Parts: sequence; structure tokens; C-alpha cells
Amino acid sequence: MIKGVAALEKSRKKSRPSSPSLPDYRGYFGEFGGRFVSETLMPALLELEDAFKTAWRNPDFRKEFHEMLAEYSGRPTPLYLAEALSREMGGARIWLKREDLNHTGAHKITNAVGQALLARQMGKSRLIAETGAGQHGVATATVAAKLGFSCQIYMGSEDVRRQALNVFRMKLLGAVVSPVDLGGRTLKDAISEALRDWSRTVGETHYLLGTAFGPHPFPLMVRTFQSVIGQEARRQFMKRVGSLPDALVACVGGGSNAIGLLHPFIKDAGVRMFGVEAGGIAISPGLHAARFAGGSVGVLQGTRTYVLQDRDGQIENTHSVSAGLDYSAVGPELAYYRGTGRIVFDSVGDDEALAAFRTLSRTEGIIPALESSHAVAYALRLAKTLPRDRNILVNLSGRGDKDVMEVSRLLEEKGEKL
Amino acid sequence: MKSGRSMRRGSLSRGSFKRGVTPPALIPYLVAGDPDLDTTRRYLRLAASSGVFAVELGVPFSDPTADGPVIQEAARRSLRHETALPELLDWLGTIPKEELPPLYLMTYFNLFHHMGVEAFCKKARETGRVAGVVIPDLSFEDARGYRSIFRSFGVNLVGFVSPTTPADRARKIVREARGFVYYVGLMGTTGSALSLTGSIREKVGAMREWTSLPVCLGFGVSEPRMAREILEFSDGVIVGSRLVREEETPGRWEKTFLEFVAACRKAEPQS
Repeated sequence: MIKGVAALEKSRKKSRPSSPSLPDYRGYFGEFGGRFVSETLMPALLELEDAFKTAWRNPDFRKEFHEMLAEYSGRPTPLYLAEALSREMGGARIWLKREDLNHTGAHKITNAVGQALLARQMGKSRLIAETGAGQHGVATATVAAKLGFSCQIYMGSEDVRRQALNVFRMKLLGAVVSPVDLGGRTLKDAISEALRDWSRTVGETHYLLGTAFGPHPFPLMVRTFQSVIGQEARRQFMKRVGSLPDALVACVGGGSNAIGLLHPFIKDAGVRMFGVEAGGIAISPGLHAARFAGGSVGVLQGTRTYVLQDRDGQIENTHSVSAGLDYSAVGPELAYYRGTGRIVFDSVGDDEALAAFRTLSRTEGIIPALESSHAVAYALRLAKTLPRDRNILVNLSGRGDKDVMEVSRLLEEKGEKL
Repeated sequence: MKSGRSMRRGSLSRGSFKRGVTPPALIPYLVAGDPDLDTTRRYLRLAASSGVFAVELGVPFSDPTADGPVIQEAARRSLRHETALPELLDWLGTIPKEELPPLYLMTYFNLFHHMGVEAFCKKARETGRVAGVVIPDLSFEDARGYRSIFRSFGVNLVGFVSPTTPADRARKIVREARGFVYYVGLMGTTGSALSLTGSIREKVGAMREWTSLPVCLGFGVSEPRMAREILEFSDGVIVGSRLVREEETPGRWEKTFLEFVAACRKAEPQS
């Protein structure tokens, strides 16, 4: 632990001259971020930035946002001590931030509510979104139904296949689901299609981007809305335990659940932070989605960040058992905090995530999303290395109902029986 | 007006126009390596001998967010045989200059970023075959840190203006543009349908007041007749998807290209 504390001190010093004013006025977190989009979209991004800043300064807007989260989505979500799971691991206590108990089953609804309220204020009539696992698509379709927007969701055809339940939910909610048959047919390709749609329809359409990624102001806006997670967790922890957690763990696709949990703790030097990427089958091109492990700095879909690319600068396809982490790039703010050493990143592969999926289900009666299972798996690793009086908080970003068919298929493939 | 026009064009010319023939104010867009580099070379030679304004040579990228289905598909075909940016520059260096029209390389910023903007510029200058670059996802704001690099190597960074660009912003973009101004005639991706409204004419007219660079209109130009009509009010016309669609079949590409050349020549002011 002494060694850990020393490392913490070091990381605190390095990250000091950072957080409150980030991103800068051009949308950069240090060297990451920006607005790498076509000129057709630039005026829309500038307008969105203005609208967001004005709205967020307005107490009425914030009040409406928080009220809708409370009454419609069921916030605050509980902080839960996973006693049986912790006992089984025989190390630190594992706590879960139960984002899976949100309306629609994941943290995604929080950002969808925020952006939809903003879009309404801006006079937009149509929402479009990309989705990987389908959780963000469902969240967008849900707020569109509630607030009276027309809605179109882009989804890679590979994801349409493995997340059939969510496709049906979106349709039920009145959204049009457009399968995208390009590239690897996953999240990246859905984002490209959504950007193309937006550049045709930017007058009446708001692009409700689902993660802390893309051109400025999306990373800032999504972080701001999702920070509710960390703000609640802080209060809840102080009340229950009387101190802050020793470590935070979140899975990282684009990074909205991670930055949402972590950002409110950034200045708490005693709180260690871990981001968990999808290690897939192996850290080798096309077989994983661990951008910090196998990637380099590049520019993709509006932002400068870590990207999985080949030696020519072409974007590599990815693989992960979880559709929501199956993406070639990572949010620019997370790239920044990795550089300062404030957030430590590691990866968890398909098999380890599947094992955690089963362990949490069996010990606690909570079926986690495959995405969140990556965070759970990492927390299990971490717990074993820490004494019993330490506290690890895991963001349980979503529930696993959407994944049970896919997991059942995978287990069958492996010849495993429950 | 007429003399002003030819002066504007002069800034693009690198002396490869064929003497005695009115140069068509046409910028065809080609995807390099579609279907293969030998064919691309033939197309470039024909374009050079027709005296076109310039050729926009597309370097395929895996995630072309500003392109519609036709160019996406062509890029995918080309990527099968790995048309990487540094190797493409080497390849251009092997072609005799007189067989090449003024070349503008068009691709997404990641390829320049990956190679290094300075390394790219250095190599582009060494080969002496690149007049400039067209980068649809390098916004005016993000270009700030790179503009001076392109300039110091004499690589023209083309400025984009779209129908959504407010006038004061357009003025700034035009001021910083080099080579030519690319007016995107419609909202959307390449290959959508363009209609020539009065507002397009007005905007192009306004921009021509602000700059001595040629103002060229592209996106959605599907017919030679339309190209000719565009040249009534703009300095050049860019034809992309309509030609890319024929790229796989050389005979058809050449026929269509020459139809555009003929139409654009008719639109020429006789000097």
C-alpha cells in the first residue's frame, strides 16, 4: 500500500494543473479532442455548444433535468455493498453503483434525457443516434417517445444480430432502426452513418451522441450529464461509509459511464481510478478493442484521441464479446487523464468478462451487462490484492437482460452447461 | 469579369494546360487505385491532356464520413490493395510531370496525421507532383495549428464553405484558403442530388468578391449540362460520384469524362 500511496502522490502532482477549465474553448483536453468534422456540421456544433452552455447555466433547465431523472428514470440509483461477492473473493469490499436499475436498464438514459431536453429547447423535431449494444438506442427512442420527437437509430448489422431484443424495444418505442452494413458492421460504422445523416438534416435534427466522444461539445456535454453518477456515488459513500472509496472501476467503450463516475472524484488524490477496456480474444489487430493497449494517437469521427489503426493509418476493426465496448477509439478526456496518470487503464478479455458475468449473477442475484462485466472482472482481480477494510466501487453501468441470449449461445458453443 | 476569371484560374495552373485549347474549368475526382493504379494513371493522363483545371485525387480511408455510398464503395475496392499515402506519393513521383494535371490530394485528416503533416508536406514537395490538399474533416478551427506547415511547404490547403456556413465565417475561411475555395453545393454527403438555387448563385457570387482564388462548386453534380450551368456563375466545377461510379469500367469512365470536358468547354468565356 505504501508504494500505492507514493504513486498516488505522484499522479496527484501531475494532474494538478488540469481539470476545472477542461476542455479549452476549442474543445481540447490537452492534446486530445477538437472538432474534426466537415464544414457542413461546424455551424451546428457551434450552435449546440452555445445552447448547451446557456442551458446549463439556467437553474430551470437543471431543475427539469434532475426532476426528469428522478421521476422518469428512478434516480438516484442505489449504492450496493456486494457482500457475498466480496466474501468469495476474500479481499477488499466491492460496492456497486446500480446504474442497471435506471429506466431502460443502463446509465445511457441520463445523457439521453439531458440532450433531448436541450434539443427541444433548440427547436429540433428529430433525434438520431448510433448504438452498439442497443442501450443508447433504446434510451434515445425512449426519450423521443416521451418528448414527442421522431427518431432514427443507426446500428451495425452485426450488433442488430446479437442485440435483437433491444432492436425490438426500439421499434416498439416508435423509432426507425437502420442496420448499417459497412466496415465491421459495429458501433464505429453506425457513428459514421449517423454523421452522414446529420450532415443532410442538420436543420431539424439533433444528433444525440451516446458517449463522451466525437467532436466538441459532445465530450463535455455527455460528461456533464453523466457526472450525476459520480456526484451521487460520492454523497452516498460519505453517508454510508463516512469516507471516499479507495478505488473506482468502470468499463470503457467510448467512456461515458467511466467519465461520469470518475470525473467528480478527479481531484480526490486518495481515490484510485481504473478504466477497463475490452481485451476481446487477444491484444492483436482485429481481435480486441483495447485502444490504450494496442492503439496510437489518431483522428476519428471528430476527435483526436487513441485509435486502433494499422501502419497506414486505416482504422482497424475490433472485437469484443460486448457490443458496447466494441469500438476503435476512446473518449478524448480519458486519453488525457491516462496521459497525466490520473486514470489507470487495463483490459479484460472475453472469457474473464463472461466468468464475471456468471459470478455476479450467482453470488448476488444481479445479472450485469457484458460491458459492465468487464469492470466487475477487473474489480475481482483488484479486490484480491487489497485488505478487507478497503472499498472498491464498481460502476454497474447496465443490466444483462439484453445479453442472455448471446451468452447462452456462447456457452453452448463452448460446450458449457449451466 | 472575364479577364478576372482567367486570372483566377491562373493561380491554379501549373503550366500543364495544353496550348491552344480552352481549358475546361473542371475538377474531376478520382479514387486512387480504383480499380488499380495503372488505370488511375491512364485517367490522370487523359485528364492532363484535356487541360482540366486540376484533379482531386482521393486517397482511400476506411471511414469516409463525408462520402456517400458510391465513393465509399470505390474506397473499399481500392483499399483491398492497400493504397497508402506515402507509397502513393512515391508512385506519383514516378510519373512524368507532363502526364499529370495539377493534383489535389483529397482524404481524411487521419492519414495526414498518421504520416505526420510535416513529413507529408516534405515528401509532397520533393515529388513536385502535389499542388494541394482537400481535407473534408479538418475544420477551419482545427486547421489552425497546421495551416502554417502546409504553407511553408507550398502545399495549398483548400477551404470548404457549405450552405450552412454563415457569411462572416465564410469570409474568414475564404481569406485563409489556398489553391481554391470548395463550395459544397448541398447539405449531405457526396453523390446526393444538387439543385441550383438562387441562393447558391448568390453565395458563390459573394465569395468571388472576397477572394481572387477560384471558387469551385462540388457535391451532387450529376450531368454535363449541370456542370455547364454551374460555370455560368462559378470558376470551376467538381465532379465526384458521377465519375467514380464509372471508374471500374475504363471505357465508360473516359466517355463520361469527355462529355463533362466538352460541356465545360462550351461554358468557357472566349478570350
